Amino acid sequence: MAMGPTSEPEAGFDPVYGWGAGEHVHEPLIQSTLTVTGKDLKIGYDLAVAMDTSEDGMLWTVEIRDDARFSDGEKLTASDVAFTYNTVKAGSSVNDFTMLDHAEAIGDTTVKFHMSEPFSIWPYTMAVVGILPEHAYDPSTYGQNPIGSGRYLLKQWDRGQQVVLEANPDYYGEPPHMKRVTILFMEEDAAFLAAKAGQVDLAYTAASYADQAVSGYQLMAVETVDNRGFNLPAERPGVFPEENGVPVGSAVTSDLAVRRAINIGVDRQEMIENVLNGYGTPAYSVCDRMPWYNPASEVAYDPDGALRLLDDAGWAVGTDGVREKDGVRASFHVLYPTGDSVRQALAADFSNQLVKLGIEAVPEGVGWDTAYDRALSEPLAWGWGAHTPMELYNIYHSSPGGSSAVYSPYYNSMVDHYMDAALASSSLEEAYKLWQNAQWDGETGVTQQGDVPWVWLVNIDHLYWVRDGLQVAEQKIHPHGHGWSIVNNVDQWSWQD
Amino acid sequence: MIRKPNRRQRTLLLLFCSVAALSAVTVAGGLLSGQAMVTDFSRKNLSPCAAYPFGTDWMGRDMFARTLAGLSISLRIGMLTATVSAFVALVAGFCAATLGRAADALTGWMIDLVMGIPHILLLILISLACGKGLAGVVTGIALTHWPSLARLLRAELLQLRECPFVRVAEKLGMGRLRIVREHLFPHLLPQFLTGLVLLFPHAILHEASITFLGFGLSPEQPALGIILSESMQHLAMGRWWLAVFPGALLVLAVSLFFTLGENLRCLLDPGSVHE
Repeated sequence: MAMGPTSEPEAGFDPVYGWGAGEHVHEPLIQSTLTVTGKDLKIGYDLAVAMDTSEDGMLWTVEIRDDARFSDGEKLTASDVAFTYNTVKAGSSVNDFTMLDHAEAIGDTTVKFHMSEPFSIWPYTMAVVGILPEHAYDPSTYGQNPIGSGRYLLKQWDRGQQVVLEANPDYYGEPPHMKRVTILFMEEDAAFLAAKAGQVDLAYTAASYADQAVSGYQLMAVETVDNRGFNLPAERPGVFPEENGVPVGSAVTSDLAVRRAINIGVDRQEMIENVLNGYGTPAYSVCDRMPWYNPASEVAYDPDGALRLLDDAGWAVGTDGVREKDGVRASFHVLYPTGDSVRQALAADFSNQLVKLGIEAVPEGVGWDTAYDRALSEPLAWGWGAHTPMELYNIYHSSPGGSSAVYSPYYNSMVDHYMDAALASSSLEEAYKLWQNAQWDGETGVTQQGDVPWVWLVNIDHLYWVRDGLQVAEQKIHPHGHGWSIVNNVDQWSWQD
Repeated sequence: MIRKPNRRQRTLLLLFCSVAALSAVTVAGGLLSGQAMVTDFSRKNLSPCAAYPFGTDWMGRDMFARTLAGLSISLRIGMLTATVSAFVALVAGFCAATLGRAADALTGWMIDLVMGIPHILLLILISLACGKGLAGVVTGIALTHWPSLARLLRAELLQLRECPFVRVAEKLGMGRLRIVREHLFPHLLPQFLTGLVLLFPHAILHEASITFLGFGLSPEQPALGIILSESMQHLAMGRWWLAVFPGALLVLAVSLFFTLGENLRCLLDPGSVHE
């Protein structure tokens, strides 16, 4: 199968250096994890057989199965698990483990996680950390020669070209159907040509290729939470302190009426047709269809309502069709990262749609070196979507020590409060409820009736050319990142004659 | 019987045609620059037709407007940078040839320095240092194209200075500035003008390459390099028109400039002016 070149793990297959984790989470395949996320994104067990958390959330106790073996024959014990978590905490470049104080093995099958602060969504972290062998872990070589207890063994890795995985004969669970998986790393156009030439069984592709036909292949679309949206700086310039002279805040989008008008004045379906050739779903939040999603985020397209909001707020249409209020023109740049054609097209379509509202939004491409700073005062096309509610926290919660959220100026004490409470809660079910309250509790939040500090537009379907006869097992909703997610359950794929 | 136009007339005609074509493109492109940025998703990915002779791209932008606007940007950048470069070369050449040994050594050293660094690398470095964007591209191209012309002008000047008529003028007590003005400059002018015109194609091609590599303008701008690098992603889908027309027009513009430069040289160079 063919994947994008950015999917190749630069630091190798070492969970400490980001394998499986980070921005693009997926199951590590070569290693086992304690928990797994199911199709509904709720938590299930892999190595774990039971888990429990103390009332104050400061201690997690996990029982693990005792029949797992590493591929070198050694038994996987609780001390391997404790070793893994302590190593990741000490050395990881990708995972933030500040909430973990230390992990401790009690006997062969019990692990205790001592937390430094309550973290109710710890099971979601446990779902992406692959367990390392304590007896055979050398940080300098492990990435190239991983020893794990997962479904597959790393047979061969030609850097920049391909990875060959083979089924692990000693795997403790159901033996993988697919005995051998070869993953090629290639650019979109090369992947398309490879499918056309019949050289791969499955190739990732993009919506811009969707109108092409490849004989012998079906186009498969997987629903995702790989969303795209724009931040709308929710404060006036000067409210939050500037750092290094970077402007923070916007005189236009700090007006709640403008943000609300944008949220209901953009036709998401049209955007999906225009930019994604129909392969997407409307997005209303950063976490659509996740267990912690609050359906109150959904809004209907209402262009007249949007115009009314702007009129009522005193934004009068000027002679050039651009609205104005108290000498402020409803005009800003919409930024997109250069080299990302989908976000460029989204920015262009967003801009076209805002013209109808009397808002002038000029698309401008920016490099990631300046994008984060620029986004503090102007909307930027972002892509998010992860299998953990932490993303809500990263986007809407004020930064530690700061008064505003990190990526776009915004502060709401109630939203902060709900998310803090969600992290401190002792059960996941209760936490889901609190995460939902953070989005909208009936009075305040980040939805249309609330503050709308971000406008979410589309979830991009992940598209693949799949050879006729290949049965790809049912996928869970894919997160951001168009790479390894598809192979999460490659062991259950099969060929049909 | 109609007389066939002689060579001088033909040269003049060609010269005139190239200038007319290039200025037409510059003006038309400038007028179309607003249209070149318009995205209209209802007309995306159209192959060339009567309404859109160069087709449209994945965001429904009119490639004809975009190509002309891009060419116009290139030509204007080329004009600006080539002029700046040529004047830098002129000043450097004069300094080297007239201000004594130390100035000559210094200029020579500067020329070697600039020519010693791979051109495209130097361009990228300068435009990055100037904050990318239009300013970066213009500064980069303007500051890297003068050395070869400067070297040429310096050699020419050194030779001129030893000519009998300059020597005689010196002996007659003519002032330095007056010698420069009345004896050196007129002889240098053809070299300078030809050099200036021949700098254009270099400047244009470098503008295209640096925007192609993504160090220049922001991708919504209709620069030729950006158009060509975007088209690369669509070639596999059979959208040949995205690359062919802009590429062909770029080559055409560059070769027009060469024709222009060559013809200008024929007309100005005392050695060929009467052929």
